[in-house]
Amino acid sequence: MWGTAGNSQFSEDDNRHVTPKDPDRRQSAQQRLAAQRAAAAQARLVAARRRRLLTVGGSVGAVLLVVAALVGVKLATGGGSPKSGSTATTATSSVIADVSSVPSNVLDTVGVGTASPLPSSVSAPALTSGGKPLVLYVGAEYCPYCAAERWAVAVALYRFGSFTNLGQTTSSPSDVYPSTPTLTFHGASYTSAYVSFTGKELQSNQVVNGKYAPMDSLTADEQSVFNKYDAPPYFPSAGSIPFVDIGGRYLISGASYVPSVLQGKTHAQIAAALSEPTSAIARAVDGAANLVTAAICQVTNDQPASVCKSAGVVTATTALSNAK
Amino acid sequence: MRSDSGGVIRAGRAGVTALGFALLGLGVSVYLTIEHYNTSLTLACPQTATLNCAKVTTSQWSKIAGVPVALIGLVYFVAMTMLLLPRAWRYRFLAPVRLVGAGAGVLMVMYLVWIELFRVDAICLWCTAVHVCTVAMFVAIVWRASSATVSPIDP
Repeated sequence: MWGTAGNSQFSEDDNRHVTPKDPDRRQSAQQRLAAQRAAAAQARLVAARRRRLLTVGGSVGAVLLVVAALVGVKLATGGGSPKSGSTATTATSSVIADVSSVPSNVLDTVGVGTASPLPSSVSAPALTSGGKPLVLYVGAEYCPYCAAERWAVAVALYRFGSFTNLGQTTSSPSDVYPSTPTLTFHGASYTSAYVSFTGKELQSNQVVNGKYAPMDSLTADEQSVFNKYDAPPYFPSAGSIPFVDIGGRYLISGASYVPSVLQGKTHAQIAAALSEPTSAIARAVDGAANLVTAAICQVTNDQPASVCKSAGVVTATTALSNAK
Repeated sequence: MRSDSGGVIRAGRAGVTALGFALLGLGVSVYLTIEHYNTSLTLACPQTATLNCAKVTTSQWSKIAGVPVALIGLVYFVAMTMLLLPRAWRYRFLAPVRLVGAGAGVLMVMYLVWIELFRVDAICLWCTAVHVCTVAMFVAIVWRASSATVSPIDP
């Protein structure tokens, strides 16, 4: 108490003594007060800045931590493994009927449609089998781009002959364009008076020991063609599937249209849409089929004329010529 | 309209940065949405086992309740761009909306990264660009929001 009173007394005395009589000391006290206030303000500012850094840093840190944890778990548990697609079955009669009899007026209306890229011409020894030009297809059942290309190849080939035991299946559910409905050439046979066809599916869509099971094998001659023409300088990368060699005159590597047009559709819906000239499926599949047909006509000497002289094929032939 | 520190609320550098990332995200979202609806377009993107845009954007997880994720992203970035326009910073009531929007975007990014890593098994580079924009926008918005209580001077 004494000390406090004494201090208080002293302070009052001091103030009485300083305030009116010593402007220098008064100014000094004011400066000290201002400095204290400035220091307090500075401390508040530093504390606020620290809080701000903690808030922002904490938020960023939390985000980075979660992403790092996800990546870490992914690396620890290993990469993705392929998954099996649906087992191939014999194509239904309605699918076969729709694919084998796309009306010619629909194909004529579509022309090239949205098909791209076009088959590329090549000067290679004629590819033949049984005295007829050979169309060699190399693909795999799991492959989504092959899934797209098969529809076009089948529509085109049905204009020159017919298939037996054509199957239907889906591409891999764990690849691009998952579970794309498609046909399969594995186990199918083809007869035509104009052209021969060999369709090889190198792998199925069924996973065995973490890999798609091997299926068809290429003969030495087929392997030689595949190695030579499905590679630079004919295409940017070697060994891409699907690969189609049309009589040694035209080559296709990759799908002739974007497989997404088939997404979410059933086999029956896709097959039925082939006869609707304004549908996205017809414009893609029928357009690609006309291009394949035009390429085949180049090696069959435009036989049969009813096919090769049709408006849709003539349009596709012109497109092939312009692309050279 | 005044900030806690007595200054008029303005976007500031952090706000402008956030707007820049929102516009970038909007641009990429427009590209992804166009690609989604235009089947003749293919994303300019490498196709390897790990990096594969098409595998991600065509997977079953590329839609939520039937709505393409690309379109959801487009709508999100349109909304965030509106919230981040200099004029929008004048309205104090939009501050929490902005923060919630940015936070929701980051949560969505985490969900989509999880989908890419554990469901699709592939990374889409264009999607990653959108994710980076979302997180950067979130950081800038949080930074700007926290600056209002620090200094009357805009950062």
